[in-house]
Amino acid sequence: MSSIDGKEMGELGQPVSEKIKSDLLTLNMGPQHPATHGVLRVEIKTDSEIVAEAIPHLGYLHRCFEKHAEHLDYRGIIPFTDRMDYLAAMSMEWGYCLAIEKMLGTEVPRRAQYLRVMIAELQRIASHCVYIGTYGIDMGAFTVFLYYFDEREKILRIFEEISGARMLYNYIWLGGVWNDVTDDQLRRIEKFITELTENVKKYHGLFGENKILEERLANVGVISKELAYEYGATGPVLRGSGVEWDLRKKRPYGIYEELDFDVAIGQGLKGQVGDCWDRYHVRVQEIFESIKIIRQCLDGIEEGSIMGKVPKVLKVPEGEIYMRTECPRGELGYHLVSDGGKTPYRLKVKSSCFTHVSMLPDLAPGQMVADLVATIGSIDIVLGEIDR
Amino acid sequence: MSGITPDISTYANKDNMLHQEDLTFGKWLKNIWQAVTTCFKGLMITGRYIVAVKPVTIEYPEVREELPANSRSRLFNDVDNCISCLQCAAACPVDCIYITAVRRDKEAPKLKTDDGTPIKLDLRQYTIDTALCCYCGLCTTVCPTQCLTHTTDYEFSQYTVSEMKYDYLAEDIRSWKHRIVK
Repeated sequence: MSSIDGKEMGELGQPVSEKIKSDLLTLNMGPQHPATHGVLRVEIKTDSEIVAEAIPHLGYLHRCFEKHAEHLDYRGIIPFTDRMDYLAAMSMEWGYCLAIEKMLGTEVPRRAQYLRVMIAELQRIASHCVYIGTYGIDMGAFTVFLYYFDEREKILRIFEEISGARMLYNYIWLGGVWNDVTDDQLRRIEKFITELTENVKKYHGLFGENKILEERLANVGVISKELAYEYGATGPVLRGSGVEWDLRKKRPYGIYEELDFDVAIGQGLKGQVGDCWDRYHVRVQEIFESIKIIRQCLDGIEEGSIMGKVPKVLKVPEGEIYMRTECPRGELGYHLVSDGGKTPYRLKVKSSCFTHVSMLPDLAPGQMVADLVATIGSIDIVLGEIDR
Repeated sequence: MSGITPDISTYANKDNMLHQEDLTFGKWLKNIWQAVTTCFKGLMITGRYIVAVKPVTIEYPEVREELPANSRSRLFNDVDNCISCLQCAAACPVDCIYITAVRRDKEAPKLKTDDGTPIKLDLRQYTIDTALCCYCGLCTTVCPTQCLTHTTDYEFSQYTVSEMKYDYLAEDIRSWKHRIVK
């Protein structure tokens, strides 16, 4: 070995230390990666185990929803809204129907209002069950996935009996809901939520309070309040950062203002406020809040018709509206522009998952690759909603 | 200089840096104690499932689940009751229903559906591309004679896409009327 200026040189005449160190390694995570929950490709540049840069690439599930909507009549769009966030299809339909009903000035009967709230909250529970279950798989806990999917299966069974489909319901219609619910089904929902309360407590003890998971999630992927505001985060991600913002409370729609429930926020129980564990915990608490809401609906549900008066040939008056609702993953907004015809002139959807996935370039640098998996899992994205 | 990794602190967000506290002997013991107790708690929960909880898996080919009565699966059109009003084709958001009908001869015997609606058109073609269908159920709700219904048949996979096109005027599909239809 030779030496120049006192530096030890390798065979090719470069300093040894520089030869061992090399460029950042570019790694493609996805589009077919189990941890990305769909077809998201994250291009990451790593320095050994540490992520230096992460760039999300979208568009693998693009289906031209917004363009399709310009050629469909108002009733025919509802099955397409189902296919945006396929894990929370009821919530997607509801936001759309609320927008059109506000434009038409339709009054929705009380029974339908109760049914809508109840179904949407059941859907929220089902969606959070998927989130916690798949998050368990990401973190290497397979059992909790099976337990939560068992609970979700019971909800889907109720939905199938009510609406006729397991995932893509087309249940909430303009002016009301499609089918009525029998007393027997209501009793079964009540029995189910009673069992669910016990079960979720049990599963939280198995999964959330486990020391291994706590070590894995606490202080990882911290989203500070300022960062959440800056990007416009909504839903459980914003609430996980300790901000008490819930559209159901702050801008009530449906009959939410008559119902009594609390807004779950992240408190930094295991680490800092806004880490992955907080976002997980917010969703567990939201399941309990949803159970509270469903119980009030079961007590207060009224007899009566389930369909308001909507003209058969539907023409929405000229104008525009922006309607936002609180979906399991955050705020979903519909911007509808109508020119008075049978089809919308323009229908733009604002998705919360898109906002959350845009935060990745800010969240990833400095993390381990395995922690990046935990971060992507914790913001709970559905690519069907991002790409539309 | 290119080819040299920058120091981590140049790109890392301070919040994202690995949060490491000094590990004392007491903390080390506490961590082990917490890990053992919480894992034991979890094992107690899963352990119950060995004896106390029944399996929920349906062993599919041997045991077939019966779907609820209003489950939306394969479409069936009872062509004897169809008045060729084209409302289903108009309501379909994916345009997968193909209908051809001609005016019925004046001399031909008068036909009526089961609910008494006179049939004024002769149905020549009623085809649904089931591979294109999105099972939304909009076509069944607009049907005035209730002849187009969703059945609870869910096992109808085929080897080619063209086999998924159902011609409801064909004899073999007409005979479903006596087999399924709720």
